[in-house]
Amino acid sequence: MPVPTVRFSDERLPNGLRLIVAEDHLVPVAAINLWYGVGSKHEVTGKTGFAHLFEHVMFEGSAHVGKSEHMALVQGAGGVMNGSTWLDRTNYYETMPSHQVELALWLEADRMGTLLDALSQENLDNQREVVKNEKRQSYDNRPYGSWNEKLLATLFPPEHPYHHPTIGSMADLDAASLDDVKAFFRLHYAPNNAVVTVVGDVEAGQIRAWVDHYFGGIPANPNLPVHLPDMSLPPTLGGEIREVVPDRVPLPRIYWGLRAPVYGDPRLDALDLAGQILAGGKGSRLHQRLVREERLAQDVALFSMGFTGGASVTAGWATARPETDLAKLEGAFWDELERLGREPVTADELERARALTEADELGALMRVDERADRLSMYATLFDDPDLINRILPRYLAVTAEDIQRVCADVFRPDNRAVLTYVPVAQP
Amino acid sequence: MTVIAERPVPGEPRPFHFPGFERVALDNGLGVIEVDLPGRELVSASLVLPSGAADEPDAEAGVTTLMARALSEGTKRRSAIELVEATERLGASLHAEAGWDAISVGIDVPVGRLAAGLDLMAEVLAEPTFPTHEVDRLREERLNDILQARADARRRAEEGFVDTVYLADSPYRRPASGTRETVEKLTADACRDLLGKRFDPARMTLIVGGDLADVDVVGLAAERFGSWAASPTAEQPGAIPARSGLDAMDQRLVRVFHRPGSVQTEIRIGHLGLPRRIDDFHAVSVMSAILGGLFNSRLNNKLREEKGYTYGASAGFDLRRAAGPFAARTAVNTEVTVPATLDMLHELERIGAADVTDDELRAARDFLVGVFPLRFETPPAVVGSIGGLIVHDLPHDELNRYRPAIEAVTTEAVRAAAVAHIRPATAAIVLVGDADAFLPALEAEGLGRIVIERDDGDTPANGR
Repeated sequence: MPVPTVRFSDERLPNGLRLIVAEDHLVPVAAINLWYGVGSKHEVTGKTGFAHLFEHVMFEGSAHVGKSEHMALVQGAGGVMNGSTWLDRTNYYETMPSHQVELALWLEADRMGTLLDALSQENLDNQREVVKNEKRQSYDNRPYGSWNEKLLATLFPPEHPYHHPTIGSMADLDAASLDDVKAFFRLHYAPNNAVVTVVGDVEAGQIRAWVDHYFGGIPANPNLPVHLPDMSLPPTLGGEIREVVPDRVPLPRIYWGLRAPVYGDPRLDALDLAGQILAGGKGSRLHQRLVREERLAQDVALFSMGFTGGASVTAGWATARPETDLAKLEGAFWDELERLGREPVTADELERARALTEADELGALMRVDERADRLSMYATLFDDPDLINRILPRYLAVTAEDIQRVCADVFRPDNRAVLTYVPVAQP
Repeated sequence: MTVIAERPVPGEPRPFHFPGFERVALDNGLGVIEVDLPGRELVSASLVLPSGAADEPDAEAGVTTLMARALSEGTKRRSAIELVEATERLGASLHAEAGWDAISVGIDVPVGRLAAGLDLMAEVLAEPTFPTHEVDRLREERLNDILQARADARRRAEEGFVDTVYLADSPYRRPASGTRETVEKLTADACRDLLGKRFDPARMTLIVGGDLADVDVVGLAAERFGSWAASPTAEQPGAIPARSGLDAMDQRLVRVFHRPGSVQTEIRIGHLGLPRRIDDFHAVSVMSAILGGLFNSRLNNKLREEKGYTYGASAGFDLRRAAGPFAARTAVNTEVTVPATLDMLHELERIGAADVTDDELRAARDFLVGVFPLRFETPPAVVGSIGGLIVHDLPHDELNRYRPAIEAVTTEAVRAAAVAHIRPATAAIVLVGDADAFLPALEAEGLGRIVIERDDGDTPANGR
């Protein structure tokens, strides 16, 4: 069953703001999704975690919006909202009843234009504590919580912008100053570094008029784009790196990390299908062998995180059963990965992986918020929002040979970082 | 000034009504509900059995979720892998789930393959074989998951909390998937017996949502489910006991699970809550939103936006067939454990001690009314909501009554709901964290009787 084409308009305001609108009148709902081309890769040594801390500050008020009032106004209008920060980008989004879209656009324009008018040391200190508790809750006080930080630190060299995680370090969060916030805002938060997408029960001409009205007076920053240091990397790690991590966990778990082709490279599409065949549900090879047949693992996962600079990361894990011989678990896991590089997948496996990918895509694109997020993403990262319509055909065109080739390149012993979490006794 | 100062006013809302539906009974009593959602070609179908983990015998706790997981482990026609492959070829996902109140088998499938999807649903529910080898594996996986839960501070707090709130005769005291003692004894036969007790077409309802203009849903259902008969062992579950010993006490019970070196403390404060079928449901919804549902709820505002103690604080009722728990929840850095606990208690006391402000009332009502259409954007969301109505035996127009009923909630009704249902004076307080760091300060506050448990469940050797 074909995925419906997403029809959209795509234009730029004189100040550089990119506006994408896709109408869909099925449900009286609309999604607003604003991507800024700034992420944790723009942070420098000693200031890690800053892009994410800044995202929190964006909810603390601007010239015409009080502290926490952004949420009050959106929720009071019957909407939901949030923001997120990742290595390559930051985004802010609202899903609103369609007659409340103008409010969301006004709120986004107010903070893009006037955040610094409302900035205070008190609000920065408050959100610094909130973010430190977010780090404790999501990483430090969670079993296996350090895996992402450890894999990034291993797969990317210390001088590379992907070496550190988005959440940053406690010491750097403590050191973040008001001047840092101001400089960060002035450099990155400008209309010519942003894409605003509106999808849903709206009229494109009306949206354009509102966006002109609210965002049109915000000046562009002539110092953009920011030139990052060269992010290119050798395609593989150049040797195996292993670490044993004692942690307060009841079951051992092994994490694998590998350098993979950059996001947007069609080879990463083939690797995504390989991930589906290896670990996409109960019929996948790793689940069948490790969980169902040999019963070495409690669960198993394998997926890629697409990054645009230098390399993406393919990560996997398997949680051992209490009695499992870890060497045997690791051997079986790795054997299945290498097998994909040695021999082509079967026609039936490829067909099922394509059908699942198609169903996932169809399910995701039903929602206006997902469509808005994708349009902003493809525009921000690849200057090509129409990828929303071409990505599925690209997946469906992947051949068994494509999968074999990329697996042979990526699933190599000299390209892997291995973290083994082992239970440590309580004091 | 480069931006526009005036806030825009909202446009004219487009009308939204929850889609209409009716329950058609097949000859054997199995109900069929069809919801036409034009433009939604990925259809969601769910067969609901309104009995769940709360209806299982105490000694077999966990059998309902184990049975649901095992349904797709093999049928008279296909092995587990063949079932997965057949499902994947349809571009579908098949899932069987069990909660406290219900068991459901569902499929999300393109509308053109709905008939084949319903075939698979019928097969896993009517012809499962529960292979011993696979049920044994699922049981082992659940036992390992119990170990994992002990090491995860949040799951430890949730389990410790209900264990503190409920008496031993109440199923809600345990995890819905069972405890080590009960799960260890579960077998394939137990799964088979449980399905026999639940298999009664007259108590099942098929709900299908999506673009069904060209589909004869009742006809498709009749072909597949119409000849089903009740199992000879089918039984009607009785009332669910949901009792707490806290209310009989004249003080709070503070239970501390000591985790040395923990950088945060997970905090739960609460008590026995409410069932879903209550007269003041809408007032309780508005009151909960003000206390701990909205971003600017009293708890989140105080603990996060004012104090910076946490990434988030919330509170709410888990409304089940019988009285589920009421809990206020947060996780804070260890040093502020006691002040955070005091702040939470203060907010639980304040909500019933005085009227909420007009602004608070308006914010909560506007949010609940306004967000309503967002909750029903996709077929799985619509089908799931109707399933909830069926499970709780609520009127079919319940969801269309929702918005006017929320609009009608008054300050007095919010206050009355808080006074009736929030009881901080006899609450359970559960703290999972480094007791060495906060125990003297906690004792000094005199919040109630304190019980400390060294949490030694982190390794397989000494796990419970």
